[in-house]
Amino acid sequence: MSEPMSPWRKGPAVPAMPKRWRQLVVGGRRRLVVIRAAFTIGLAVLALTTPGFLSRPSLSALLTTVSFVGCVAVGMTLITLSGNIMSFSLGALVGVTAMIFTAASNWGGLAFGFAAALAAGALMNAAQGLVIGWAGANPIVTSIAALALIYGAVEAIGAGATVYPQADVSYGIFKRGIVGIPFEFITFMFVTVIGQLILFFTIFGRNLYMVGGSLRAAEAVGVRAWRTISGAYLWAGVFSALAGIMLAIRYSSADMDFGLGYEYQAIAAVLVGGTVVKGGEGSVVQTFAGTLIIAIIEVVLLLKGLRQEWQYLLAGLLVLAVVVLQTRGTGD
Amino acid sequence: MAQQVVSVQGVSKSYAGVQALRAVSFSLAAGEIRAICGENGAGKSTFVKLLVGITHPDCGVISIDGRVRTVAGPQHAQSLGLGFVAQELSLAPRLSIHDNIWLGSAEVPLIHRRARFRARAQAAMEMLGIGDWDLDRPVSTLSIGQRQLVEIARLLARQARVLILDEPTATLTDAEIERILGVLKLIKARGHSIIYVTHRLGEVFDLCDAVTVFRNGEHVATKPVREITRDGLIELMLGRPFGEMYPAAPAWREGSHAVVVDRLNVPGMVHDFSLVAPSGKILCLAGLIGSGTNMVTRALAGLAHRATGRVTINGREMRLGSAAHCVARNVLFLSEDRAAEGIFHRMTVTDNLVATGLGAHARLGILSWPRLRRFAARLARQTGIDRQRLRAYAGNLSGGNQQKLLFGRTLERAEPGILLMNEPTRGIDVGARADIYRLMRELCRRGYTLIMTSSELEEVVGIADIVVTMYRGRNVARYEREAIEMTSIMADITHPPRATQAVA
Repeated sequence: MSEPMSPWRKGPAVPAMPKRWRQLVVGGRRRLVVIRAAFTIGLAVLALTTPGFLSRPSLSALLTTVSFVGCVAVGMTLITLSGNIMSFSLGALVGVTAMIFTAASNWGGLAFGFAAALAAGALMNAAQGLVIGWAGANPIVTSIAALALIYGAVEAIGAGATVYPQADVSYGIFKRGIVGIPFEFITFMFVTVIGQLILFFTIFGRNLYMVGGSLRAAEAVGVRAWRTISGAYLWAGVFSALAGIMLAIRYSSADMDFGLGYEYQAIAAVLVGGTVVKGGEGSVVQTFAGTLIIAIIEVVLLLKGLRQEWQYLLAGLLVLAVVVLQTRGTGD
Repeated sequence: MAQQVVSVQGVSKSYAGVQALRAVSFSLAAGEIRAICGENGAGKSTFVKLLVGITHPDCGVISIDGRVRTVAGPQHAQSLGLGFVAQELSLAPRLSIHDNIWLGSAEVPLIHRRARFRARAQAAMEMLGIGDWDLDRPVSTLSIGQRQLVEIARLLARQARVLILDEPTATLTDAEIERILGVLKLIKARGHSIIYVTHRLGEVFDLCDAVTVFRNGEHVATKPVREITRDGLIELMLGRPFGEMYPAAPAWREGSHAVVVDRLNVPGMVHDFSLVAPSGKILCLAGLIGSGTNMVTRALAGLAHRATGRVTINGREMRLGSAAHCVARNVLFLSEDRAAEGIFHRMTVTDNLVATGLGAHARLGILSWPRLRRFAARLARQTGIDRQRLRAYAGNLSGGNQQKLLFGRTLERAEPGILLMNEPTRGIDVGARADIYRLMRELCRRGYTLIMTSSELEEVVGIADIVVTMYRGRNVARYEREAIEMTSIMADITHPPRATQAVA
């Protein structure tokens, strides 16, 4: 009997991780839930014991800033669910819709401003959705192209500078909030509820899960996948435009820097919330939680005196951890 | 008896609290071909995975050549002389046969000395009677059956003495299966042992010396095939007496012509194919892989974008190339590839069942979940899926239950539908298979029109009311009821006398 030499012959090649740990990492979904719960409780304790966290200005600032990214993240959730991972152009869309809102409000009043910004967001993103869903283009590449197109178009029409509202346009009513809750956060909650209702109570929402879960299986049961994908992008455009409008109102100005980096923060919130990066599994409510978690971490770090770099580092690590846990948790 | 090459004692394995194998013992002699049979979920796959180190036993002992071993992983198993061919082929299609044979081998040094390895690859190919194949040919140019041979050659080249094959013939046609079986007998004659996991009982009796039956993770029996009958084997697998596999066809009535296909063409695959299918009958398209049978059903389901031809469904013309349009016309498709084109793995059974019925339970696009849940519960009852499973992930169901789920989607339509099925029982165990056949007959009774493809001749003859044979994308012949018999179908699909005329 001839046995070929092999470097593997001697000992077991399995990593010598303790069994408990291995199960925690490679074991199924239930463990993921446990990890998530433990993490949330730990974070809550950390936040509540950080001096200054529970102060009113701190909370108010937290709820306001979280809402801009939050709305984009809700839109991003739909794109991720549809199986197209993420869009790099949502940040630019926030900036451009903020500018459109300001300019249109100056020209035709607030109502016209709202309508123009929402329509522009919906159209620009639905066009991307068509390119991806109908023509089958790679979603990442398409969104990067869209990003360049948006920046290019804004520069080309000479609107690169900051836009300000005219004196006769007043945003006053939107800056007040209700019973101390900033209006941005109310909008964010509203968007979350709408998003969740769309996902669970419309045919479009169920189709979205099917298309994201298995494009071929969805087509075989008669789902027009291109419509579903375009729909996801369209809603993402609407929600991002809302973020743009809110920013324009909050800062009484608008320029292309407004949405800078939002797409990254949004995808982080989507993933931390637990929506699966391959699509087909997750929800908008989860993204709501993910957005809050990231924001709370950032505030706590800030209050503890750590600088911005640390926040980026931590956000990066968090996303990496989630993605690794996801692939190990769902893979076989 | 010859020396025991593999011996397993008291091996158990559980996954997340589910006992997949319970105190299993097993031994295999040199030069023996051993079949492993059992229903889906009986523990066959877990057992072979333990042997080749893909998973590890919770307790128990595995000995190879009389020495107790801990098989660390597939490469370690290879060095011990155990070679494994998984159900899904693991060849890299763009690489050549030669590269595939050595791909991932621990023997190949960092600097690949091709000549020496080439000779060994060639020798392995010759042992299989395929020494005339060009080793530099890319694997993508081979048929599935030929690829299966390359997989086996790969094991031989790496000096595997025990070949473990997990359903090697599941996706092959009868002619290709013959070839594989011939090759396996040749390998046995050279003293190799083979562990052969299969659902096809015919192969057990054609090929194997003995058969080991698993049921619910336990070893039920090991018997020489001489001492067991086909029915006896099925009974061992099911644990209960087995009735007639194929339900009797109802008395023949002329049905209306539900589906009329006139000169269907799919470039390169189907040429001027015509078909008339009556309602309430099972029409079976028979042909080898590549004969276009599966493409005909795909085209009728709207899943072949370049298909042309005239198709009428109950007298109304149907547009090809749009699956959504076909589903709207009640033309429903069950793919042979349930994993990729049927099931939504990460959605619940309920979600899966209602996938084609959302529109009927919604008003202005808003869904009524109470109605959908009742709907899903009704579908589950009719297809024989356990109600408790409705909230489970569909991906966790066995193959048989997944297929029942897909049938469930086609029930309770506004009117009887046209059901297109590719290989509806592929990879499904005997018990669930009989359930599927009963379901198909029930659909016929409700006035559905069933068109299916199958590469298993026994199934074709057993279940079909009408058989249409195909060769290289063209019609060969049509048989009804008593005229259906195996030899003429076999002749039609392998080398039909009329096909050459049809081409001219």
